[in-house]
Amino acid sequence: MRFVVCVKQVPDTTEIEVDEETGTIIREGVPSVLNAFDEFALNLAVELKNEVEEDVEIVALSMGPPQAKEALNKCLAIGADRAVLLTDMVFAGADTWATSVTLSRAIKNIGKTDIVFMGQEASDGNTAQVGPEVAAHMGIPQLTFVTEVESVNNSHVVAKKETDEGFVRIKCETPVMIACMPTPGFEPRIPNIREIMKAKKKEYQEWSHEDLGGDPSEYGLDGSESVVIKTYSPPPKGEGIIVDDEPEVAVKKLMDFFEDEGIL
Amino acid sequence: MPVWAIFKGGIMARTKLSDDRDLTEEQRLFKESLLEWAERNMPLDRVIKMNREGHPYPRELIKGLADLGVIMGTVPEERGGMGLTWKDQALIADIIGYIDPSIATAAGFMAVETGWGFTIDRHANDEIRKKYVQPAIRGDKFIGIATTEPGGGSDVANFKCTGEKDGDEWVLNGEKTFISGVEEAKQIGGGYWVNVRTGEKVPGAAHKNMTAFFVPIDSEGLTPTEPYDDAGRNSISTGGFIMEDVRVPEEYMLGEKDKGFYYTMEGFDNARILIGASAVGVTRRILEEAADYIKEREVFGSPLAKYEGIQFEFVERYTEMEASRLMVNKVADMQDTRYDEEGWAERSGKAKTYSPTEIAKWISMIKYKVPHLAKDTADDAMHWLGAAGYSSEYIFETAWRGVMSYCVGAEGGANIQKIVIGRETLGKDYVPYK
Ligand SMILES: Cc1cc2nc3c(=O)[nH]c(=O)nc-3n(C[C@H](O)[C@H](O)[C@H](O)COP(=O)(O)OP(=O)(O)OC[C@H]3O[C@@H](n4cnc5c(N)ncnc54)[C@H](O)[C@@H]3O)c2cc1C
Repeated sequence: MRFVVCVKQVPDTTEIEVDEETGTIIREGVPSVLNAFDEFALNLAVELKNEVEEDVEIVALSMGPPQAKEALNKCLAIGADRAVLLTDMVFAGADTWATSVTLSRAIKNIGKTDIVFMGQEASDGNTAQVGPEVAAHMGIPQLTFVTEVESVNNSHVVAKKETDEGFVRIKCETPVMIACMPTPGFEPRIPNIREIMKAKKKEYQEWSHEDLGGDPSEYGLDGSESVVIKTYSPPPKGEGIIVDDEPEVAVKKLMDFFEDEGIL
Repeated sequence: MPVWAIFKGGIMARTKLSDDRDLTEEQRLFKESLLEWAERNMPLDRVIKMNREGHPYPRELIKGLADLGVIMGTVPEERGGMGLTWKDQALIADIIGYIDPSIATAAGFMAVETGWGFTIDRHANDEIRKKYVQPAIRGDKFIGIATTEPGGGSDVANFKCTGEKDGDEWVLNGEKTFISGVEEAKQIGGGYWVNVRTGEKVPGAAHKNMTAFFVPIDSEGLTPTEPYDDAGRNSISTGGFIMEDVRVPEEYMLGEKDKGFYYTMEGFDNARILIGASAVGVTRRILEEAADYIKEREVFGSPLAKYEGIQFEFVERYTEMEASRLMVNKVADMQDTRYDEEGWAERSGKAKTYSPTEIAKWISMIKYKVPHLAKDTADDAMHWLGAAGYSSEYIFETAWRGVMSYCVGAEGGANIQKIVIGRETLGKDYVPYK
């Protein structure tokens, strides 16, 4: 059996600072990390691999600049068996459409895959589009907001998915794309030094657009359907009001405030 | 998070003083894993609490450290280690010092178990490796070093414990004092590298006839003494033991008979590198924690960090910390050439680039300098914070008491390091004693 886990390296959001003059994010010196949603997806894949009796190969797949190798190294340490980085100037500037075209072609290249694990979204773009688009390009079913994968065999997977009302358990045919949503309090596996050293010896490949075939214009900025007109951060919120009184007084103050503002 | 870290509009950006760009990809991952583990298992408030509560070191944390793979990483893979370089292990020691600035964790598991344990592994036979070294790597046993005696520690060659051969066994007698980890070894099992005299004392060459043995803590005739009530690094014990006709088999001899002194110097080198590295981490943590405070705390209408009286002291310590880090890197690089070479023989001077005594000089420089820097930085930080710095709510006084152990004597006193540095720079004729 084969699981492909798509991962993205993103700026560490806890470290982000905004240039006050231009309103844009300062990227220099900001460390990059593995997108937390993808890390969760990888953790689910590794857990599932440990549970099933059949041999499973986990392939970590990423599209990004050469530095994204670092995120893949981490995946190899956490438990991926091999890794592929799609790196090529031709891929640069891709929107979600071009990204999903690139990823789905790479997955086809990797070979027969039972489950494509993806994060529900990436913490930098937050579109949640790439996973479903990959499923569409591949012509396979998709499960989104998945918090747990219970079991898998040669034809089906059973997964738990979060909805507005609660959870649903779904049995679905494979191959399938599963977009994973971390549960509150989820603590990812911490790779130990032995695993990190072992990861160094695992197979790692870099592919360019030539490895995937097709015309360069289908990738990257040229292959993108959407155009970013402007990036800006929302104006900072005001200071806010802190009501710091005994409950009875505080509630009264709050109610008065709501009334004055016409909220109630 | 301390209340002062919250200010209008959000949470203050933490001061970070580490530069990752000179690390390898793997080293960056080690660092990430260790810091993530510490955030979950050993945040600063736990370090402070562990020091208040005292030894033995929490067992689950020994296991946790071992599972992470930080203990004895430099032992070759085929013998249960990871074959890490000294550069890797020094980085790990730095982060361990950063995580636990009381230095207890670095003392127990970097200097003692890794520095000395690695050396035990080199000179032990397979039985000791299998029964003690490998379980210690897995966190199931504690192994340590016992050179110091009631008569003193600096003059390593002037020791009184004895070993006499009786058939296939050796009978050991004497007392060892100020020994790290005795309570931990008692609790989870383990043993010590013990130096004894196995021949007549040679006038003018007291270091001759020193033989090293591995002695299990539960040996018959071995009685642990009352642990010391130390000033700091209280989460790991310092104790001692008396040996009365302790019998160990011939195979428990480490290396060759009468070569103990040379192995001991090798062990000190290995432990001192890791202490130098840990003290860099301790210093960095103290500076980061202090920076967060002095940037926020306003006195006479301005943050403390704006006053040169404080800012310049901070900057001086930071500069010394970075200089020390570079020195530790150099020493670790030198040490990597020492064990790289096939057929490297102790004190043969045949190492690839540097002779062992040359490496020892550099090791003594960091062993002398960096723990003092950590102690002085903690001292400064306590001044910068005022009453808050004096309270154990913050890490500074815990760190100050802990790193002091490496200034007064642990792994060799400051003056002993200076004697080594003097010998290697001015020449053997100027050794102050003989
Ligand atoms: C917390 C702690 C843990 C320890 N753990 C261990 C352990 O696990 N195993 C172990 O074997 N030992 C251990 N030690 C002991 C340590 O190795 C000794 O403290 C050290 O060797 C110094 O010996 P001493 O304390 O007997 O001091 P002494 O040898 O009595 O020296 C006292 C002072 O005189 C200075 N001095 C010595 N000779 C000279 C000279 N010629 N010229 C000028 N100054 C000189 C020394 O630097 C020192 O400051 C530990 C010590 C501490 C504090």
